Order: sequence, then C-alpha cells, then structure tokens
Amino acid sequence: MTRYSLAIDIGGTFTDAVLLASDGRSFVDKTLTTHNDLLEGFFRGVELVTGRAGIKPEEVDDVLVHATTVVTNALIERKGPPVALLLTEGFRDVLYIREEHRYDMYDPQIEFAEPLIPAERTFTVDERMYSDGTVQKGVDRDEILDIIRQCREKGIVSVAVCFLNAYRNGENEETVRKIFAEEAPDIYVSLSSVIAPQMREYLRASTVAINAYTVPITRPYLTALISELKNRGFKQQPLIMLSNGGVIGAERASTMPVRMIESGPAAGALVACYFSRIFGIRDLISFDMGGTTAKACLIQGHEPLVTGTFEVDRRYRFKPGSGMPITVPSIDMIEIGAGGGSIATVNDLGLLKVGPESAGSMPGPVSYGRGGTDPCVTDADLVLGILAADRFLGGDMKLDLEGAQAAYEKLGQALNLPRDKAAWGVFELVCEQMAGATRTHATERGIDYRGLPLLAFGGAGPVHACMVAELTESTKVIYPPLASVLSAFGTLVTPAQIDLVRSYVTTLDGTDWDAVDGVLKSMTDEGKTALSEAGIRDEDFQFSFSMEMRYLGQQFEVRVDLPEDPRIKKDTAAIAGLFETEYKRQYGLKLDGMQIEVVNWLVTASGRQPERETAPAAGGTDGRGDESRVLQIRGEATDVPVWQRSAVTETDKIPGPVIIEERETTIFVLKDWVVTRHESGSLVAEKTGDK
Amino acid sequence: MDGVELQILWSNLIGIVSEQARALQRTAFSPIVREAGDLANGLFDEKARMVAQAVTGTPGHINSLAAAARNLLDDFGDEELKPGDVLITNDPWMSAGHFFDVTVLSPIFRNDRIIGYAGSTIHHSDIGGYGIGSGARDIHEEGLWIPTLKLYDQGEPNETLFKIIRRNVRTPDAVIGDLGAQVASGIIAADRLNALCDRYGLDDIASLSEEIITRSEEATRDVIRKLPGGTYHGKSVIDMPGGSEIVLQTAVTVDNEKGDIVIDFEGTSGPSSMGINVVPAYTHAYATFAVRSTLNPELPNNAGSLAPIRLKLPESSIVNAKYPSPCNARHVVGMHVPFPILKALAQVVPDQVVAEGSGAVWTIQIGGKDADGKPFTSSMFNYSGGMGARAGKPGISAVCYPTGVSAVPVEVLEASYPIVFKCKELEHGTGGTGKQPGGDGQRIGYKLRTGQPWLLNTIPSRLSAPPEGLLGGGDGAAGVFQINGENVVDTRKREMQPDDEVFMITPGGGGYGAA
Repeated sequence: MTRYSLAIDIGGTFTDAVLLASDGRSFVDKTLTTHNDLLEGFFRGVELVTGRAGIKPEEVDDVLVHATTVVTNALIERKGPPVALLLTEGFRDVLYIREEHRYDMYDPQIEFAEPLIPAERTFTVDERMYSDGTVQKGVDRDEILDIIRQCREKGIVSVAVCFLNAYRNGENEETVRKIFAEEAPDIYVSLSSVIAPQMREYLRASTVAINAYTVPITRPYLTALISELKNRGFKQQPLIMLSNGGVIGAERASTMPVRMIESGPAAGALVACYFSRIFGIRDLISFDMGGTTAKACLIQGHEPLVTGTFEVDRRYRFKPGSGMPITVPSIDMIEIGAGGGSIATVNDLGLLKVGPESAGSMPGPVSYGRGGTDPCVTDADLVLGILAADRFLGGDMKLDLEGAQAAYEKLGQALNLPRDKAAWGVFELVCEQMAGATRTHATERGIDYRGLPLLAFGGAGPVHACMVAELTESTKVIYPPLASVLSAFGTLVTPAQIDLVRSYVTTLDGTDWDAVDGVLKSMTDEGKTALSEAGIRDEDFQFSFSMEMRYLGQQFEVRVDLPEDPRIKKDTAAIAGLFETEYKRQYGLKLDGMQIEVVNWLVTASGRQPERETAPAAGGTDGRGDESRVLQIRGEATDVPVWQRSAVTETDKIPGPVIIEERETTIFVLKDWVVTRHESGSLVAEKTGDK
Repeated sequence: MDGVELQILWSNLIGIVSEQARALQRTAFSPIVREAGDLANGLFDEKARMVAQAVTGTPGHINSLAAAARNLLDDFGDEELKPGDVLITNDPWMSAGHFFDVTVLSPIFRNDRIIGYAGSTIHHSDIGGYGIGSGARDIHEEGLWIPTLKLYDQGEPNETLFKIIRRNVRTPDAVIGDLGAQVASGIIAADRLNALCDRYGLDDIASLSEEIITRSEEATRDVIRKLPGGTYHGKSVIDMPGGSEIVLQTAVTVDNEKGDIVIDFEGTSGPSSMGINVVPAYTHAYATFAVRSTLNPELPNNAGSLAPIRLKLPESSIVNAKYPSPCNARHVVGMHVPFPILKALAQVVPDQVVAEGSGAVWTIQIGGKDADGKPFTSSMFNYSGGMGARAGKPGISAVCYPTGVSAVPVEVLEASYPIVFKCKELEHGTGGTGKQPGGDGQRIGYKLRTGQPWLLNTIPSRLSAPPEGLLGGGDGAAGVFQINGENVVDTRKREMQPDDEVFMITPGGGGYGAA
C-alpha cells in the first residue's frame, strides 16, 4: 500500500510543494507566494502536486509538514495588532536602551529599528526577583488588574512579560499569566521565563516581544490552516518546521512563533544533513544562494550546527546589530548579503564592491528587462556566458544580454578593465565574499573549513559553488536532485524535535543535583508534551543533554554535548574533562586549575528519524555535451560544452570546464574538476590532480 | 594590481583580523572585553604599518594600536626577532594610554622571514595599583608597568615576567588567561596570513600592503581636497567632579591642495593632578576618529588613511601627558577630544557632523564582601549618556559615542556581584531641543546586598557643564551623581556603608539646529 507525505514551503518569492510516495516517486511544483493570503498559495501548491499524482487529500496518510515565512513577514511589515509589554518597575526602556552599543563605530549616521512594542504600550510592574531566584517583591493583583483595564482601552490582544532575573525564577511572571487567564483569557500572554529563559535582559525582552507580536498573526493563520485542511478532507494534523530544524504540532507552534522564524532555511540545512548520510560524509557545508542572500550552514557529524542567538530584520544597510536579536535555539546559519540580485559598484578607492544593496526581484538585474539599470551578479553570469539568455527557467524567461553587456561595459570603464574582466571580477568577488564569510564563521566555531565538501542548491548556488569550493580549498561539490524545491523536501526528512534551554548558573563542583533535577525534569516534561502533540509515540521519544559552560570569570560559554543524562552518574569530573576537550578543540588551549561554571542546561527531545526516500529520475539521451558555448573565463574566451542534467548517466565522467543545465538553475564546473552522477541522482564535481 | 584582485586580497586580510578578534573576544575573561567589546586587533606589514583592523573595539584602542607596532619595535631595539617570539607592553606612551591596556605583538614568519605582525590590545580586568579611577597621584601608583619585553622567547614563556605579573595583580587567573587569549589570537593570524599567501602564490604582503596604504591615503586626501581650505576653530568645556573645568581647544587647518588636515590643540588646559591626562597616541586616536568618521566613514582605517591627519600638541597640556603624570582615567578627557574638532568641522561640512554628546562613558567598579563575607572586586563596567543630534537625525539615546563599547547587562552584573539595581531607564527630556533633538541620558540606581562596608570607584563627568547644542540647537542636561540623595563632588575612591544607595543621571546630548 503506497503511503504519501506532503510538504509545503512558503518562501519570500515562491511556494514550493513536494509530494513523496513511499514507492519512491516524487511530485514537485512551484507557485508564486501569495502575500495577501499565504494559504491561497499553500493550497494551490497542494492541488498542483496531488493533482499530478492523481490522489485525493485523504490518501496523504503520512506526515504533512509546513515551513513558512509568515513570522518573518509579520516582523518586516509591522502591520500587526497592538501588543503590550510588561517590565519590572525601574527598567521600562529595556527595548530602547538595548546594549548601549553602536554597531558601526565609524558611521555617525547609524539608525536602530523602532522597538516592536513602543513606550506607550509598555507597562511596569512593581515586582523584583533577585539573581539567586529569591523573590524580593511579589506581584500585586490589583496592579495587574489595572494594567488589564488599560490594555482593554488600548485594544491590546497580546502581551509580553519580561521581568528582571526571570530566567532564574519565573514565579512572578507566572502570577501575571494566571491573573490574565482569569480576568482576560482572550489576551494571549507570552512569558520570557517560558519563551527564552536565559540571562541578559535585552535579548530576552526582544525575544519575548517578537513572540507576543507575532502570536496574533500566526495563531489565526495556523488555525485557518488546520480547519481548511480538515475541510478538504486531509486527515493529518500539520506539523510546523522550526528554526532549530525540528518539527512540532501546529497548535504548539502557534504559541511560540518566535521559534518559526528561520523555518525555511532550517529545512534547507536539514537536506544537507540528509545527503551527508546518503554520501557517508560526516562534515560538509550547505550552500544555498538565491536572489538577495546566500546562506551557508556547517554540518558536523551529519548534524547542523545550532546557535542560541540570531538577528532578524536588519534595518540599516544589512549591518549586523541593526536588527532585532532573538535568543532561541536555531540552526546556525551564515547569511551574506550576496545573491543573484546583488549590485556591483566601484567605491572611492577604485575598488570593486558587490552588495549588500540588491535589486531584488523588482526591478531585478538589468537582464530581467524590468527596468533595472545596475549591474548585478546574475548579469555578470550572463555576460560571462555561464547563463544563456534563452534558457533561463527553461526558456520561459528571456534575458536581456545586450542590456547586461552595456551595464558591464560601464562598470569596466570605472575600473579601467575590459567588460568581460569586470564581469569575471564580480563573479570571483561574490564567491570570495561567501568563502570569506564561511571561513570566519567556521573559525569562530573552532572548525577547520578547509576541504569540507559543499552541497549546492538554490537558484544561484550551483552557478557559483565550484568557485566557492576553490576558495575554501574544498575538492568536492554535490548538486542534489530537486534542487529548486530542496527546502520543502527537507521538511520531510526531519524528525519531530524541540530544543529547550534553561539558565541555572552554578560552579560545576558545587552543582546541586536536586536543583538540576528540577530544571531538567521541567524540560523533559515539556519535551514529552510537544512530541506527543506531534504524533510521536512514547517508545520513540529520545532525549539528549548538553551543558553550556565556561571558566569561572569568562563571559562566553562553550557547549558540551553529553553522552547521557548527567543525572545518572552525576560525574562532575567526567563533565569537566568533556569541557576541557571541547575548549581545547575550539581555542587551542586549556586552562589548568581554573574553576568551571555551568550557565545553561539544554535538552533536545526528538522523535525518530523518518525514513523516506526518493527514486531519482533516470538519465536521458539528449543534450550530452554536443552543444557548446563560449565563456569568458578570467577574461579569456573559452569554448565550453553544455549538457542537460537529465542526460547525465552514472557511467559518465565529464571533465570541466562544463555547463550543466536544468530548468531552474545552471551548474558551472571549472577546469581541473570532473563531474559524475551518484546513485542518489546527485551530480558530484570533484577536483582532479594534486591541487 | 587591479581593483578586483586587490579587493579580493584585501577582503582576505580583513577576514584574518576579524577571525583574530572573534577568537580573542570569545576566550577573554575580562567582562569588559567580552560584554563591552573593549579590544582591538590589527594586522601590520613588515614595516609595522597597520594594513587591516578588525571591525570591533574602540577608536581609542584601534588607532593607538596602529602606532603601537612601530613603537614596540623601536623600543625593543636591534635584537632580531625569531619565530615563536611574542612582545608585550602596557607602557601608556607606547600604546593605549593607561596600564590596563596591554598590547601583545607577534611577528609573522614566512620562509624564515618576517612578513608582518599581528597585534592586539585589550583592557585587562586588573593591573594592580590603584584600580579604576583617577585618584592616583602619579603614574607609579596606578599599577604594574610592563616595559617592552618578550612574553615568549622562541615559543618558551618568559617565566620571570609571568611570575611578576601574577604577583602584582588582584585577579591573576583572569589576567594570565587573557594574555593567553591574546597570544593565541596572534598564532591564528600568522597561520591565516600564511594560508592566504599560499592560496594566492605570494612570498610576502609587501606590494599588497603598499597598494592598500597608498590607495587609502590617496582616497583620504581626495576627500579633503574637496573641502574649502582654511583654519576653523572649535572649543569644548567639560567639568570633572570637584568642579574643575577643562578646556579643549582646537584649530583645524584644512589644506585642500596637499589634502591634509592639521589639528592644533593650542589653548587646551594644562596637565591635571588627577589621573585624567591623555598620552599623545590616545589624543591622536580620538582626533583622527573625529575627522575620519565625519568625512568618509566608509574608507578603511589603516596607516594610509590616518597619515593625512596630523596633530600639534602644546608641550604642557592635558592632551600631551608627560611622565610621571597619572593617566589611568584618560578616557574621561580623551573621549571628549572629538567634540572641539567636530565643532570646527561644523563650519566645513555641517551636514556630516554630530553635536556634542555626553562624551566619556561613566565607569564604575565596586569591591568588598558579599552577604556571606566572601571578598570580591568587580571588573570595570560603564554607562553612557545621550549622543548629540545629527543634521538629519536625532541623537541616539543612551548609546556609547565616540567610543564603541557596550554596557554590561544588569542581569550579568547581578549574577556576578552582590549588586542590585533599582532602576536603569531613559531620563526623558535630558537631550537638547532643536531641529533635531539630542539623545537622552539615563537614570541608574543601585545598592549592594551586603552587611559590610564596600568600596565604590566611579568616574562621572559633565556634572555642571552640559553638552552644548550645535548651530542653534539646545544644550543637553548635565549629569547627576548622588549618594543617598546628596550630590557628590569628589572623585576619589570612596568607602560606602552597607545601605548606601547610588543614583546617577548621565548627561543628555546636544540638539542640532534651532527648533
């Protein structure tokens, strides 16, 4: 009996749909994202793939997974209903004061985004928690009743609470939640001690404010999704993709939208993990390049790196620090303002610059012929001959070659270089920017990036990946199948998973294991509930434990993954050994005789890895390199054979330079590389020779 | 070298210093390095000229570090450096102007030849002596003075020096740990620079560095050549607790033929008996910051872009500290150095300047015993006031300017020390009025959870002379510093009673243009 699973990924431009059958067949399609009503595009995608498979909704009997950009959109558009913030008295401006830091020291004109919740909807409460978790002053019920009355007057539908030191003890926040539940059950309350129970008041307040702000948008969206799926005869409850790379039930997701922000990109990183298992390669770099940005993620031991803090909605020239910080577990992504639409300019020093300014999709690159006049990365790809004007999106979109050439003629004049050398410069520089960001990111995490294989996807990824690989000293690039809808596919190879973090600060030697038991038990209980809601059976529950530690006196923690629940052996000496090993790996030294301090306790609750596979389409016959076109490589005209991807078989060994085309993207492989086809349907480029 | 090749190599160099800085910041013990970002990393060519700097830190550190490599090498003398050698100093005149800032410099070898140097300066958590504050009477009271020495000799630690340091600071583990982090960051830089040379087939970075420095210098001169030539004057008056006033006076001469700027500090106050004297390198650091951030913040910071800006310092002056003047709290004056220059530049490029702001961040250090009787000494932490308004934008409230540090979060401090904050929020209306208003300062109150007397060391400024508005904008409000509701006038270390409460309002920034 064939089983079907369905995935829908709503991104900024396209909504991707993937339907997988248990016999290995797959059905994929893309439709434009409908920003006014995201569900319209969702169901159009659903209809397209179920229609092609010829199945009815009730036949989707395996999972139904959804990744969505709804939360990010809500934050960028800022059209949500009014939301209030409750803070400790004396600290009302936490969101305005931030960290008192100018993120660009030399630029006196920098700007910060207005706080998501403004001063006129911020209330303070006369309560106080000490840093050791003892209550200095509890919450007065009448004060909260008065705030509720004012919230009513202001039409508030959702409230964020962030009290000082609530990461240590959330009792006062919990009291507020209870009073709201009794007196104003229609107002949704987000607590910092639940959403992000970690030290540092600005990070926590920013995170809980984002959650409260997006709940009134995400909840109706997910509720409508659940009911519409039911109306159409789908039997499965939808699962939602989270930023940490796990999926959970839609109802639970609706209470923590802040965890859904990197939903789509996280799914992309998971595909990389999936292929790392298929290829038996433990460590690799996923490389996803689209229209405005490129994203990379380091995969280590078949798992993506995760981070505790990231930033959304960078307001001022894409600069780090100009957005809003979020502190929830998330896949650790390198995001670079370099995509197909990134604009090339010449600066005051006479140097070439690419990005971060982007022509986006409107007007887009010059070659789109929609009024764009600035030379973009895609234009360079066209001028160089990597892209062909009449082959873009299978020929559905004709590119303006003359326009692109004229734009590069002009750029070349400013650089005192011939047109084609300027275009090659843009190609090389944008690749170097991505390689450079990857090098820095990896070093910061103590990882040697040199030689790690790349997994390339996204519209512009396969065009640039081989060059990026040269610059990161990599010798292998994998081009997976379904590259154009890869993130949607990623959601289907994802286990149910929730990552939980609590701060409980103690020296390692002085650990009070009863207190630890209380902390860890509350987290495992929360994990169990979330997994049950995602339809996971009790016997499939898995828990793993980590601790974030540092030498006493340091301010930055090192994460240590534990082989088992630390409560079993309570072996602080063994934990200290793990910490020292990890510290030495990251920073090249360990410090003898220093006390170790535990800051955060982490629990990952997951279901088992699902087993779903795709059977690749068989190789074709047409387009086996019998065509060629002239490319301008490093300013020299080179005749390069052109293949169609579908024509490559498992016995082929295609030497570079070569162009391999498919409908949504083009693979460009350099000289001294050779391309083969893997049984998974992936193409693999490998560097030949001794270097 | 064409504009593409150069850009690619240059991005690589900046990547190397960024890696170096990140590694340093993550491994640092001193909270002021980690939480506040008080550090600088630079990469130097074989002539000890700074070619790239990390995008972190403070102008005070970075621009002082720019000169430090040359100073250290000159001071070290003729002895040839070998692989594995690491130099160290905290000499205020060599580097960043007070003992807390320790500079470490490592030669980078390639094929047995020095091709460059990796340097870092960080603010250490302690350096013995007086501690934070301006109360020492001469420089020797301020702490341990480390002359230019080898910290490592061909990879072997200088055990004598380590022992001396360990015995002379209050937090030896943290200081030794932070020195280790500095040395490690130098090793990373050397490794990466060699990898870069391998990747691009370079024997050294001499021609690359020459190109970078020449282009940066030319671009800076070109910007200056577009300005109307002449001499422009600006003056700032600041006050120290206790009522003494300090005048910073500058004459900024724009030579639009040569494309250079000379800043003459004639008319500036003389040396102070307090530890607020500024060494020339630190004065230079904030003066060049003012010019460069105003004229073209996009230009990179290196030996070339700094070269067209020169200083003339009067012999006897608070901005030209001489031995044995104390200079521990030199930032109190140094962070105001940009303002008279900005006032002069307001006559040249009025749309690009910033009005006077609160200037120096207020630094605080506490020490004593907690409720259980366990002794503690906090690291330094700091709070900002309002930034001055810009021509087209208001001043930012509660943000560090001109320095680039951050505040340590309240929760981090409360978890680390027995301090309890009563308030930390904006003091509305402290920013000056104007077409664009100045940023607001903040109100901050705290006490200790202890049954014992404790020590408070704090350095407020601008308690009577507020930041001035610019071009018709209103003045910001002056600051307030109180203990138990009484204004405090002296600036020495102070013994506090268990229940004493501290309350401060940091100054607001000046407005821009008539309202």
